[in-house]
Amino acid sequence: MSVQQAGSLPTPHLKSHTLGPKNIIWWGMIGLITIETVVVAGLIGMYLYLKMYNPAWPPDGIEPPGLTLPIINTAVLLASGVAMRVADQGGKNEKRSQLLIGQGVALLLAVTFLVIKVIEYGGYDYDWTTHAYGSMTYALTIFHSGHVLSVVLKGLVVFAMAARGMFTRERRLALEVNGLYWQFIVLIWLPIFATLYLAPYL
Amino acid sequence: MNETRSGLPAEDYGDFRPNQDALRKAWDRPPGLAGVFMVVNHRTVGARFIVTGLVFLVLGGIQALMMRTQLAQPELDIVSNELFQQLFSMHGTTMMFLFAVPIFEGVAMYLLPLMLGARDMSMPRLSAFGYWLYLIAGVTLFASFFLGVAPDAGWFAHAPLSSDTRFTPSMGMDVWATAISLLEISALTAAVEIVVTILKMRAPGMTLSRMPVLAWAMLVMAMMIIVAMPAVLLASVTIAMDRIAGTHFFNSAMGGDPVLYKHLFWFFGHPEVYIIFVPALGVVAMVLMALVRRPIIGYTVVNMALVAMGVLSFGLWAHHFFAVGMPSIAMSFFAVASVMVAIPSGIHIFSFIATTWLGKPVFRAPFLFLLGFVLVFIAGGVTGVMLAAVPLNWQVHDSYFIVAHLHYVLIGGAVFPLFAGIYYWFPKLTGRMLNERLGRWQFWLMLIGMNVTFFIQHHLGLMGMTRRIHTYAADLGWGPLNMISTAGSYILALGFAVFFWNVFRSLRVGERAGDDPWGGPTLEWSLSSPPPNYNFLYMPVVRSRYPLWEPPQAPADRDTAADRGIRALPQFNDERRETWGTTIITAEPESRVILPGPTIWPLLAALSVAVAFIGMLWTLWSVPVGALLFYFSMIGWHWPFNKELAT
Repeated sequence: MSVQQAGSLPTPHLKSHTLGPKNIIWWGMIGLITIETVVVAGLIGMYLYLKMYNPAWPPDGIEPPGLTLPIINTAVLLASGVAMRVADQGGKNEKRSQLLIGQGVALLLAVTFLVIKVIEYGGYDYDWTTHAYGSMTYALTIFHSGHVLSVVLKGLVVFAMAARGMFTRERRLALEVNGLYWQFIVLIWLPIFATLYLAPYL
Repeated sequence: MNETRSGLPAEDYGDFRPNQDALRKAWDRPPGLAGVFMVVNHRTVGARFIVTGLVFLVLGGIQALMMRTQLAQPELDIVSNELFQQLFSMHGTTMMFLFAVPIFEGVAMYLLPLMLGARDMSMPRLSAFGYWLYLIAGVTLFASFFLGVAPDAGWFAHAPLSSDTRFTPSMGMDVWATAISLLEISALTAAVEIVVTILKMRAPGMTLSRMPVLAWAMLVMAMMIIVAMPAVLLASVTIAMDRIAGTHFFNSAMGGDPVLYKHLFWFFGHPEVYIIFVPALGVVAMVLMALVRRPIIGYTVVNMALVAMGVLSFGLWAHHFFAVGMPSIAMSFFAVASVMVAIPSGIHIFSFIATTWLGKPVFRAPFLFLLGFVLVFIAGGVTGVMLAAVPLNWQVHDSYFIVAHLHYVLIGGAVFPLFAGIYYWFPKLTGRMLNERLGRWQFWLMLIGMNVTFFIQHHLGLMGMTRRIHTYAADLGWGPLNMISTAGSYILALGFAVFFWNVFRSLRVGERAGDDPWGGPTLEWSLSSPPPNYNFLYMPVVRSRYPLWEPPQAPADRDTAADRGIRALPQFNDERRETWGTTIITAEPESRVILPGPTIWPLLAALSVAVAFIGMLWTLWSVPVGALLFYFSMIGWHWPFNKELAT
């Protein structure tokens, strides 16, 4: 069947700008998310391993972390995920104001999360040099908060691009992968939250 | 116009003619020095990985020779104890992290697009980024070696020796922890790119069940890297933190646990052996088919065995430290898994034997190296099964028996297949054949040298010689056997020297290869040697597992994925970098993937990451500084300077 004999047989239309699972960059983001999931699983595994082999965890002299602030903070982070989802819908339907407001709210909530984290850690009288418990909790928190900071910085660029009207219904891969990664950073907090804050009360 | 051999007879393409000049221009790189730093094309970056890997092979080999020279006779003092520790640490680190893994990534980057019918890898900038990171890490490690502050806690750097500055005060361990972290990031980027290329960019019609075995092997390797490398990334970063930031992950006085490090490292460390071995098996299958002139026996079983190896290899990491003490149920589990992984390896060996038996082997250099692989690897595999038994493992733990075993497995399982692959694909890379006679010399020198060096070490191990000792007392009676082993290592080194002479000579005066000197079955042999910068003039489509061996029938009134691909060809824009985007399982044509051209951002991004990690040797402020630099290079990397191409 040659090119010229296409005739009545169907010819696929090859788009050059794709979204979602048709796009290789989308798959690249899935790759990054997989890698980071394994890293978080490893960190949580380390935490549980040390917990298992330590007579007291947290050790004597360190109180288990309070729950109020972290629960509020978890709600803040989840809300930023919802706002980002709303923004993505706006991008999909080419509603610029919905896109920008959604992203703006998500960014503000993520910054709020970081501020509350700093306040929370200001209240602790131990740090990573005090005990392996401190090393582990700071490692998990700094790893995650560092990622929240990075999605905020990245989100600012995407916000600037959106404000300049650089996205259309068909051409918005940056929005899509930004949203995907944002949701990942929000959701990966939940197992970390459960490990650091809920497990000590089990 | 041999490009039309890419799976289809010329008449299939009718009057369709791609614009060759436009393609050449689109895939070109800037002239001069700028091009050197900006190039992202897979064949350039892949060749860089391979050549750099070979350079590190030489450096690691010289370190091994220095060690063997020191050990030739009892109580020698040619190499100081301090330097000896650096030598074995650097030798292992070099061979595992700087040679074996990167070189197979390079093989994947160079060959995969050619085999799969693509014009480049899925994320060309990431290829370049990974290469620069690798180069920076390698140069940093060797700089520390030449400055006399090399890492000295072994290639697996067990805590607390490695994690506590009281035990290893030299800066070498900090260098190890930071440079190894860079290498892991490099491997991870390559892995993601390899997976996406294999799953999303195969020529229309190349379903998963028609994919070359090498692509299956690389897919398994890359997925293993994605699961295994984060563990060692955690291990190396936490080592750096314990040393530099004062954390206590591995300090048992402060609630940490050194055994945790062993779990982290070997959760990577054992799969690492298969990360090297699985792609080597893929190379073996490809070379074997061409050299025995028939398709591999048990294509499906062979590929599933690769997948099984990939899965099982994650269940046996603790057999590297049975001696540390763990619950007997855990030891039984790891022992059983260690024996079980012999089954898929066995499948490959039996498939090899059956394919050779039913084929017509051509006893040229690549085939000799395949035979070397089978002989040496089986010997290493047998001692591997022995080591899976906990009592024997305890008995020979940390002895030269282990040294012998691991060199049999790695040289047999990776180095011999690698050379088979180099002899097989060298003509595709350079347009010239490697010299056959020198190839035979190299093979026999390597096979004899390798066995003389390492076979005797089994015995030394059973006599009680422990690994990593700087010297030994004369009355132990280990002198004569060590002398034999050292002599063997020089024969082995001579084999490598013959190889490099062969490459050097063949590049200038080697016999011209032509496009397809071996009569290979896969798409890369349909291209000129070396291929043009755009790889395929006609984007290929595939109708069978061995497109060059099974010429398609006269065009029938068909409507397969390949036929639909052919009809979609005129949509390609030859003036920019475009290639097939296809579906994961059935390879239906789905999109034109637009790939980026030459750019400086990958180099800048790699330098930023290097500032963050290597700067840690002096101050932790390097981390935020490097992160900020990385942020700006990422903006530059992703900014849609060209609105037409941007996605």
